[in-house]
Amino acid sequence: MIKLAIYGKGGIGKSTTVSNLAAALAEKGLKVMQIGCDPKADSTGSLHHLDRVDTVLELVKERKNDFELEDMVHEGYKGVLCVEAGGPTPGMGCAGRGIIAALEKLAEKGAYEKYKPDVVFYDVLGDVVCGGFSMPMRGGYADKVFIITSGENMAIHAAANIAMAVENFKGRGYAQLGGIILNCRDVKNEAEKVEELAEDINSKIVGRLSRSETVQAAEDLNMTVLEAFPDSEMAGEYRLLATKIMAECGVEI
Amino acid sequence: MRQARTVISTYSADTFGVCSALYELGGMVVMHDASGCNSTYTTHDEPRWYNSDSLVFISGLTEMDAIMGNDDKLKDDVISAVEELKPKFVAIAGTPIPMMNGCDLEAVAMEIEAEAGLPCFGFQTNGMQSYLVGASEALCEFARRLTDKDAKKRQRAVNVLGATPLDFSINGSVESIKKLLKDSGWEIIGTWAMGSSLDDLARAGEAAVNLVISSVGLKTAIYLNQTFGTPYVVGTPNDKCFSEMVLRDLELAENDGKSRISFSNLEASAETRIYIVGEGVTSRSLAAAIGIKSGIVPKVVHTLEGLPELSGVLSKMDNQAMEEEEIQKAASDAQIVIADPLYRPILPGNCRFIALPHEAFSGRMFRKDIPDFTKIDVEKMLGQYEI
Repeated sequence: MIKLAIYGKGGIGKSTTVSNLAAALAEKGLKVMQIGCDPKADSTGSLHHLDRVDTVLELVKERKNDFELEDMVHEGYKGVLCVEAGGPTPGMGCAGRGIIAALEKLAEKGAYEKYKPDVVFYDVLGDVVCGGFSMPMRGGYADKVFIITSGENMAIHAAANIAMAVENFKGRGYAQLGGIILNCRDVKNEAEKVEELAEDINSKIVGRLSRSETVQAAEDLNMTVLEAFPDSEMAGEYRLLATKIMAECGVEI
Repeated sequence: MRQARTVISTYSADTFGVCSALYELGGMVVMHDASGCNSTYTTHDEPRWYNSDSLVFISGLTEMDAIMGNDDKLKDDVISAVEELKPKFVAIAGTPIPMMNGCDLEAVAMEIEAEAGLPCFGFQTNGMQSYLVGASEALCEFARRLTDKDAKKRQRAVNVLGATPLDFSINGSVESIKKLLKDSGWEIIGTWAMGSSLDDLARAGEAAVNLVISSVGLKTAIYLNQTFGTPYVVGTPNDKCFSEMVLRDLELAENDGKSRISFSNLEASAETRIYIVGEGVTSRSLAAAIGIKSGIVPKVVHTLEGLPELSGVLSKMDNQAMEEEEIQKAASDAQIVIADPLYRPILPGNCRFIALPHEAFSGRMFRKDIPDFTKIDVEKMLGQYEI
């Protein structure tokens, strides 16, 4: 089982990218689980196409422990197992602590043992702003962290912060930095800026995604690019990226 | 009112469980918590505090350290104390504040261990679970990390698992259980964890069989079974009639390698209106003794978390009820109840009540009345009550 945490600045395209990667790996016959770690609970919508699904924290809040694993896990495109951690009411509670509680509940209910996914993606909200948001990279969770960034200064700054968190935790047996995914926004000197970032944090760019209207078109259909436009250039880019990420984890697909 | 206790007491929390389980092992226990006062973790729930030394500290977590995630202060303070006091190990246990801000104490312990060069354990306690969770996890973690994995089994050797004052106080119960075993020809390798050293515990794999005397010992027994193949027997020696069953099961387990629950064949009937309210293993053991002597097995209301390991221990006629209303409902038709005195107000007014104080529930209040388990005579205990 390969467990990967995907971090990056809010709005950089993490959920879109992760969902397409999950779809690409599922097309190859792998069993993939995608866990959205964001109170908005909108990571997996393009895979399961439902208006909303019960989040882990909603189930715990309403039913304590009186629910089954199947209530938390929803099968989506090509059998991708979709989970939304959920979170507190906006402006209240503690979202970071919510991520911890949700991931612990998922493990307690035996999600990894029962479904035996080949690949698990943790799609994590924004930056590593507190202890809760480092949960997916802790011991027993992700093996590697991939950071998505564009060439925009704010995205690069967030990526550097995330890399610093990974570095700070190196004595704790946490996930290692797997690399950077460049999600192009076509800003000036974009590739050079992100390459410079990679050098600064002793990492590398493992794949690039072009800016494409196909992505928006698929999103309007509430689908992944791979499902909506399987023969598009963009679908090819996602498939290539999925291959490269697996290669970084020592798996050829 | 759900999840509220308006009349009865609460049990010692998981944090106390860690402190209690590790108290005598020569380590340093650090509660990662605010305030400098550690009486919350020691004097209130620790009867050994006044008569024997143990290194139990509070980290003195401040608001800013919590907000800023300043784990380095905790690490530096612990390492400094280790250099000065030379404990055999360090255990760091969490409380509500570190739980809320997601402090990863297992990871902090890993860093301290690498720097200080001694075993260091992190326990994700939060003060909201019962002592069973903290104490059973603390003992099991010691079994995982510190037992000699090359130990060779010895005949007639036994470990006693699940001994803490929270269940047995310090009135000689544990010593009596050990004497009972010795008098029956058993050599005791270690008692987890009263009256034994860290070195004794490390030799756990030498035992031919393990005796689980409370729920606290179940998780460790299962681990030792999986790691060393050691069978275990679940049962708290009490009245002579049940103690003999436990001793017989130890012999059988040593001979055929199969684990046993000594009270498993003694189940309450649906019509029984006699109840024992409290911790599962000690209560089921007492119910078994009453069943042997009177022919009527009381129902047990297990009032603590349902540890997964307990699922095979409670019978189908027993109840798990943690909240005041649930406990009240579970024993609503009771004619006779055996329980800690603090349960009396929520039990039916016309039921006959037999006090069996429990340190983890009523603390020092009724300590002098806590019996030595092996000296319990159920006929005397039931006294004038005809069942």
